[in-house]
Amino acid sequence: MTFRDTLGLALRNLGEAKLRTSLTTLGVSIGIASLAGMVSLGVGLQDQFVARFTKSGLFDSITVTPGQDMPGGLATLARGGRRGFGANRRAQRTAPSPDATPLRSDLNDETVKELAALEGVREVYPNVRAPVEAKYGSDSEGLLAAGVPMTAKDEGAFQSITFGRFFSDDAAKECLLSLDMAKRIDPANPQNLIGKDLILIHAAPGNRGAALAPGDAGLSANASRVEEPYRIVGIIERETGPFGGSAAVSGLMIPLGRAKAIASATRALQQSLVPERASERTYNALIVKAKHAQAVQDIEDQIKKKGFSAFSLNDALQGAKRGFIILDIVLSLIGSIALAVSSLGIMNTMVMSILERTREIGIMKAIGGSDGDIRRIFLIEASAIGFFGGVTGVVLGWVVGRIINFGANVYIQNQGGTAGNLFSLPFWLIGGAIGFSVTISLLAGSYPAARAARLDPIRALRHD
Amino acid sequence: MATLLETRDLKKHYQMGASIVRALDGVSLSVAQGEFVALLGTSGSGKSTLLNLIAGLDRPTEGSLQIFDRDLAQMSSEELSLHRRRNVGIIFQSFNLVPTMTARENITLAMMFAGVPRSERDAAARSLLDAVGLGGRQDHRPRELSGGEQQRVAIARALSNKPHLLLADEPTGNLDSHTSRDILGTLKNLNEREGKTIIIVTHDASLADTYASRTITLLDGVIIDERTPSRV
Repeated sequence: MTFRDTLGLALRNLGEAKLRTSLTTLGVSIGIASLAGMVSLGVGLQDQFVARFTKSGLFDSITVTPGQDMPGGLATLARGGRRGFGANRRAQRTAPSPDATPLRSDLNDETVKELAALEGVREVYPNVRAPVEAKYGSDSEGLLAAGVPMTAKDEGAFQSITFGRFFSDDAAKECLLSLDMAKRIDPANPQNLIGKDLILIHAAPGNRGAALAPGDAGLSANASRVEEPYRIVGIIERETGPFGGSAAVSGLMIPLGRAKAIASATRALQQSLVPERASERTYNALIVKAKHAQAVQDIEDQIKKKGFSAFSLNDALQGAKRGFIILDIVLSLIGSIALAVSSLGIMNTMVMSILERTREIGIMKAIGGSDGDIRRIFLIEASAIGFFGGVTGVVLGWVVGRIINFGANVYIQNQGGTAGNLFSLPFWLIGGAIGFSVTISLLAGSYPAARAARLDPIRALRHD
Repeated sequence: MATLLETRDLKKHYQMGASIVRALDGVSLSVAQGEFVALLGTSGSGKSTLLNLIAGLDRPTEGSLQIFDRDLAQMSSEELSLHRRRNVGIIFQSFNLVPTMTARENITLAMMFAGVPRSERDAAARSLLDAVGLGGRQDHRPRELSGGEQQRVAIARALSNKPHLLLADEPTGNLDSHTSRDILGTLKNLNEREGKTIIIVTHDASLADTYASRTITLLDGVIIDERTPSRV
């Protein structure tokens, strides 16, 4: 018996019991809809997460911090390099082994050049956070203004500026606001802030216009406090991941050149107050941008070999991806409960069908149908139910997902959030769900099919 | 004439609770090609059991059953289904047509198992239905046909894979006397004109005498009489 004939016969048999077939198929489709819906929720959340990461432009970034001062604490404690009370005791206890790379903390313009020369590096710039007091109207707020290099114009969060534009040049008295920040200033119409001035109060060299050499303690006494208007030129939707600390974006962004000057003046001021820390490094951290995301790991290793601490989001993202896999599995298991119930439905339908068609099976055997033929007919009937259930289940899951997505987005937008796709139904999930449905149906149908194939033809023929 | 089938000391015993039912208890017979044999006997004599063994629907407990020089007792389940598909056509008292299929589909189903291509199946089914006088009723389902017509469809189905041996178990048991003669006449025709070997099971001795070339009578699983009817 050819496959085509078996398929035709199986579909014909299913058509003879339309109501039962439809109800069983509906059961399977609900199972698949629940499974596909759950997995697509997991995939959707993962996509959103990854997309936000990608948009933040942090995939190709490495944050370089001094070797003995790695953020996160663990490495710091391990190396005993933390400053403060008890530092000497810790240093003695955890003296580095002779073959260990000497730690470095010189994060200055020379280091920027040194790291920029590494293979695969596109650019290196300092991660500058300039402490300022921002004033708009009668309100003011203390902030760390992030210094943004001009090269970031077409990257990450700056690719799509919600309102306005990027800085015109590195020395411009211009600023960008995050949407959150803009909403804090003007909750009703944040876009109206474009073109307005934000007053920034910050430290400045006493002798304005003179270059302030990094770490030059001699000029520190000249630092003073100034108020300067910064034109708000753009508002971006702030898209930092959970590791916003190393991101180049914050609520308030100013050109890197400006931020450096402010930070330098602030440092000069600090040094004049605490002279014993005058030899501290110029920058707290450097941002190294790789030419390709693939090169990140290699560059990170090279930087670590030089004695600095380096951290990229690749590591964190791998961990997060593992987390999402676990989430997907948990969601799949929840979704599978309905599918397990519907697979019992298939088994029940097939067993009932065999009882009803016992005599027919006997006839088929009497006229030459082999055990294998009978088994295949029933297996194809089961898998056809699985296939149709899978297809309708995916459609059902997609429709329900859209409805939930719509409702959730309305709610999120009402709460001031950003709308997004909570459910994602990629082709692999569509194919996988249908394939899984067919497989489960085949498994559920295998016992009834084997039972049908084993039927004794004489007994079957006598069956009423 | 060449021997088509031969049984030697064929036994079929069933376990019924604590007791053993000896449905066949040592039957030895041979049937030549082209014969029309009637198996006679009362209910429970073992005639249907013998027919089922010859059909390959059941396996003997002991003894041998040679058909076309192959022993059915030694065949696997797959080989037995091949035997039913190629060597024999079976006709039942209760017709045993698939109720959800039309007359034509019932016939093509048997050919489907034999792997006959679709185009050939439809043409062959039509000509078989024409041959049994049901040319205009090919799209009727069994419930739309009379008993005689259903049995004709069953005969057409039994012939569909061109078997040498036709086995009929009480083929006229559910039919009136006129239709019974009609059906047996059709079988006789197939025997005489196409040389089909026919074994029928019946309890009607007069019908057996009229149509069969040999009658074998069984009682309690053994042959008690075997004769060639003398026709006037």
